[in-house]
Amino acid sequence: MRETPSTIELRIRRQDGPDTPPYWETFVLPHAPDHNVVSVLMALREHPLTHDGRRVDPVCWDHNCMEEVCGSCAMLINGVPRPACSALIDQLEQPIVLEPLPKFPVVRDLLVDRSAIDAGLRKVHAWIEIDGAWDTHEPPPRIAPQQWAADYLYSRCMSCGCCMAACPQFGAGADFVGPAPLAQVRLMNAHPTGRHDKTERLHAIMAEGGLSDCGNAQNCVRVCPKAIPLTTAIGELGRQTTIQALKDLFGSS
Amino acid sequence: MSAPGAIVVGGGLGGLWASLRLAEAGFPVRLFSLFEVKRSHSVCAQGGINAVLDTKGERDSIEQHILDTIKGGEYLANQPPIKSLCEQAPGLIGTFARMGVTFSRTPEGGLDLRLFGGVKHRRTCFAGASTGQQLLYGVDQQVRRLESLGRVEKFEWWEFLSLLIDADGRCRGILAMDLRSLEVRAFPAETVVLASGGFGQLYAPKTTTSTNSTGAAASRVYQQGAWFANGEFFQFHPTAMLGHDKTRLMSEAARGEGGRVWVPRTPGDRRDPTRIPERERFYFLEEFFPAYGNTVARDEASRAIWRVTRELGLGIGGGDRVYLDLTHLDRRFVATRLGAILEIYRKFAGSDPLDTPMEIFPAAHYGMGGLWVDFERDADGGMRPGSARNHATNIPGLYACGECDYAYHGANRLGANSLLSASFSGRVAGEAAANYLRGLDPARPALAETVIEAERRRQETINQRLLGADGEENPYTLHQALGALMTERVGVVRDNAGLEQALDELDRLEARLARIGLGEANRWANQTLIFTRQLADMIVLAKAVTASALARDECRGAHHKPDFELPIPEGSFPGDPEFEDYRARWRENNTRWLKTTLAEYAAPRPRIHYQAVDLSVCPPSEPRDYR
Amino acid sequence: MPTTGRTMTASIGNRHFVLRRLHSLLGLLPVGAFLIFHLWENSQSRFGAEHYNREVVEALQGLNYLVPIELLVIALPLLLHAVIGLAITREMRAEPIRYRYARNWAYWLQRLSGVVILLFLLLHVGMTRIQGLWTPAIRDDLYGYMQTLLSNPGFFALYLVGLLASVFHLANGLSTMAIVWGLTTSAAAQRRFAWACAGFGVLLAALGVHGMLGFLS
Repeated sequence: MRETPSTIELRIRRQDGPDTPPYWETFVLPHAPDHNVVSVLMALREHPLTHDGRRVDPVCWDHNCMEEVCGSCAMLINGVPRPACSALIDQLEQPIVLEPLPKFPVVRDLLVDRSAIDAGLRKVHAWIEIDGAWDTHEPPPRIAPQQWAADYLYSRCMSCGCCMAACPQFGAGADFVGPAPLAQVRLMNAHPTGRHDKTERLHAIMAEGGLSDCGNAQNCVRVCPKAIPLTTAIGELGRQTTIQALKDLFGSS
Repeated sequence: MSAPGAIVVGGGLGGLWASLRLAEAGFPVRLFSLFEVKRSHSVCAQGGINAVLDTKGERDSIEQHILDTIKGGEYLANQPPIKSLCEQAPGLIGTFARMGVTFSRTPEGGLDLRLFGGVKHRRTCFAGASTGQQLLYGVDQQVRRLESLGRVEKFEWWEFLSLLIDADGRCRGILAMDLRSLEVRAFPAETVVLASGGFGQLYAPKTTTSTNSTGAAASRVYQQGAWFANGEFFQFHPTAMLGHDKTRLMSEAARGEGGRVWVPRTPGDRRDPTRIPERERFYFLEEFFPAYGNTVARDEASRAIWRVTRELGLGIGGGDRVYLDLTHLDRRFVATRLGAILEIYRKFAGSDPLDTPMEIFPAAHYGMGGLWVDFERDADGGMRPGSARNHATNIPGLYACGECDYAYHGANRLGANSLLSASFSGRVAGEAAANYLRGLDPARPALAETVIEAERRRQETINQRLLGADGEENPYTLHQALGALMTERVGVVRDNAGLEQALDELDRLEARLARIGLGEANRWANQTLIFTRQLADMIVLAKAVTASALARDECRGAHHKPDFELPIPEGSFPGDPEFEDYRARWRENNTRWLKTTLAEYAAPRPRIHYQAVDLSVCPPSEPRDYR
Repeated sequence: MPTTGRTMTASIGNRHFVLRRLHSLLGLLPVGAFLIFHLWENSQSRFGAEHYNREVVEALQGLNYLVPIELLVIALPLLLHAVIGLAITREMRAEPIRYRYARNWAYWLQRLSGVVILLFLLLHVGMTRIQGLWTPAIRDDLYGYMQTLLSNPGFFALYLVGLLASVFHLANGLSTMAIVWGLTTSAAAQRRFAWACAGFGVLLAALGVHGMLGFLS
C-alpha cells in the first residue's frame, strides 16, 4: 500500500467553451479519506483556487447518481476513460490528471456532448416494436434463464461513452456508431418479439458506420465499467450479418 | 388549429411513461430534462417492483397488496388510487416485459419474484440488481422509437423554470432555460406534466438520491400556487454507507442475512474495529429490540442509530456513523448471498466488508410527500380510468406524477412500491392529460403575449442579478448548511422546538443566499448560476417540509415526534383496560391527525391546511401491533 | 411498417458492407493462400540452385495461362485488398501508448504492417517479377539472383521485415476475420482462435525464414 499523501493534487484540462482552446490548471486540496473524483470536484467548486492561489471559475462536469449506474460522470482519469464517482482518490496515482471524455465534443471543461450515443441508438433501431404501451392481458413472453443471463449483461449499458472514447474507429469525422449501440442490437435481436425486426436492425448495421467499421481493437471491452461483453456482441452480430447476407443473396425460405 | 401540444418535465420513469401515453394518444410531446433522460434517478432503484403475479404458490392476492400499501402508509394515502395501482400492477409488468425489460426469470422462463421488506409474500419482480435501470431503459427505448417517428421531441439539457399561467389561472406552457447558453425561452403548450422526481438533496450529503433530485421544479410550481402535500413524510434508510458526495444505500439484506449493528461502548474509541473485543462493543439494536434484534423495521433502526449517535454520543469517533458488521459470518455465505452489497462497498469505500465492518448511517431516501394531485373515484372504488382529474394538480392543466407527487405512499412507503407508483402514475397522468387536451375548448384564446414576455423578463432578471452577484456567501457552502440543518432538525427524529428553530434558520439561509457571490464569470454552461437558482427553490421547499412537520403533532410512519408518541402499553393485550385505553387514544389521534397536510406557498412562511383522506377501501379499525 | 428516422439501412446492395467483407475474404483467399504457397515454394531453396530454378521457377513459368492467373488471382485481389485496406487505415485513431492491450497493439500493427507490406511488395515484385520481364537473367537463375540479393545484410533485413509483416498481417487477419464473419463470438473462443493463429503464424514465419536462409546456404 502506498503511503497516504496529505494533499490531493489535480491537473485538469479546461476549456471555456466548445470553440476555445483548452488549457491546464493545477489544484491542490487537503486529503481526506473516502474521497472519489466527484467528491473532490465538489470540494473544489466551493473553493476553486489554483495551486498558486488564483481564484478561477469552478470546474464544470457532469454527475448525477454517483453509484455508477447513470453514466453521467465518465471522464478521462489518468488517461483512462471511466466513471469519476467510482474512481477512489486513494487508488489513483497523483497528480490526478482529469480530461474530458475524448472523441465527444467538449461543451465546457470536463462536460462533453454525448448525443452521438443517442443518435447511434436511433440509427440501429434499438427498441422493440410494440403495438402500444397498454395492457394486452397476456402473460409476458417466456425467456429461458440462460438466455436472460446473457441478455442482462447488455441491458446494463448506461451510455457512459467509455467504450466509444477508447474506440480507435469512433470519433469526429468517422461514421462508426460505436460499440454501445451495436451491443443493443445484439440485445434487441434476442428478445422473443424483438426478433421480428432483426432483419431491419441487421440491415441498419450493415450500412456505412455500422458493424463493418469495427476494427477489433477491443479497447471497448477493456474499459467498460460494467464489464459488458461488447466484443462478444460484435462477434455474434458478425455471425448474424453473415447469415443475413447469405439470406439476402440466395433468398430465405 | 393543429393538435394541442403537451410538455413533460422530467425524463425518469414517470415522465417517460407520461410522454409515451400522450404521444400514443396522438398529441405532440415536448420532453424536457436536465440531462439525457436515461441518466434519471429511476436508475438507482435496485430492488424491484411489486405486482401480485402469485406465481409462487403462496396465494398472494391483490387485496393483500392493497392492504399492505395502505397500512404501510399508515392510512394517510387516498385509497382509490392505491386500489387501482395494485390492480393494474401485473398488467404494467407485462407491458414492461413486452418492451424488452430483462426481468429475472424462473427456470421455466417466467418472471421470477422475490420477497421484499414488510410483506409476507413473494411479490417483487426484479431485473438482477438494477431493476430501476432496466425499467427506465425499457420506456426510454419506446420514447426513442416515438422520437424517431417525430411524435416526441426531446429537450435535454434544458431546465424548467416556471409555468406560463393565463388570466384564467390555467397552465399554458413553461419557461425553460438552456443549460449551456442560459437562454430563457417560452414554450407554450396546453398541458404540462411535471415528473421532476424527489427532493432528497434537501438533506445532502446524507441522502441516497442523485444530485439532481433537488425538488427545485416542484418548488417552482408550488411557488406558483400548486399545493405541496404531506411534505413532512420523508423515508430514511437506516443503512447507507457514508461519503463526502452522497450516502449510498446498503440493502436491508445485509441485516437480514445476519449483519450486526454496533458501536464501541467507549465514546470516541478510535481503535481499529477488528481489535475491539466483544465485551466493549454495544450491539444496540439487539439490546433495544430483543425480539427483532438487527432485523428491526427500517424506521426503528434509523431512530435507534440516531439515538445512539446523536443522543448518547456513541457514534464511531464521535461522529455520525455506526458499524454494520458482516465479518463474523461465513465468508462464502456472505459472498453468495450479499454479492451486490459487497461489490458496491468495495467499489466506493475501497475496503472489504468481509475484512472490516462497514460504516453506515441513516440517509434521506424517499419523499412520500409531494405535489397534491386529484383523482376521480369510479363505481368500483378505484380511480376512474382516463379521468382528466387523475393526477391533476390544483392548477388546471398542470399534472404531476412520479416521486414529485404525493399520491400513493401516505406516511411511509412499502419497499419496491416506488418503481410501481412512478410508472403507474406516469401512465395515468399521461392518459389524464391527453383527455384534458381532448376536452379543451377549440375556440380558446391563445396565451397572451404579454404573459409570456413578463415571465421571460422576470426569469432573465434573476439570471442577470445572479451573474452580477458578488457577495461573500458561497452557494455550495449554503447547500451543505441546508443539508446539515434538515438532517439535524427535520430528519429521523423531530421536536417542535427544533422545527421552530429550523424555520428561523431557513429564513437566515435565505437571507444569506441573497448575499452570494457567484464566483463564476463564464456565462456558458454556468453551473454555479444553475445551482444557485435551484438552491433558492430548495430552501423554499424546505420551509414547506419543515412547516408541515411542525404542524403535525403525532407520530405516523416516517414522521416521528417522540413528544407525541403513543406506545402500546407493555404486557397488555386487547381486552385489558390499559390496552383499551390505548385503543381509545389511538382512535382519538386518528380523528385528529388522519388527514392530508397541504402546504400553500406564502411568504415568509407557508400556510398549512388539511384535507380529509379517502378511506373508502379499508378504513382503519385496529392499531398496528407487531408483537 | 414504421421506418422513419432510420438512416441506416443496407444489405448486400450496400457497397460498404460488400467491400468490407470482400476485403476480409480476399485477405484469406487468394492473398493469404498465395502467401502460404509462395513461402512453401521458396522453402525449396534449401535443395539448392538447380532444384529451385528447375522445380520451382521453371515449373511455375510453364503453367498454362500464367499471366492471366498472375493478374486475376494474385495481382488484382492483392490490389483490391490493398486499396480497401488503405481506406480502412485512414480511419484509424490508434492510441497504442494509452491502451496497452495486446489486441489494441494488434489493431495498430495490422494497419502498420499493411502499409509496410505494400511498400515491400512494390520493391519485391518490382525487383523480381517485373524486372525479370526485361532481364532474362533473373528468370533463368532466380536462385542466384536472390542469393546475391539476400547476401546483402540490408536487403536481408528488408526481406525479413517484409516477411514477418506479411505473416503477422495474415495470422492476425485470420483471427479478426473469425470475429468479423462470426466464427468466434465469446471472449474465450476469440482467445483460443487467436492463439491458434499465433501458432500458425510462428510456423509460417519459420517456413519463410527457413526459405530465406536456404538461398544463403
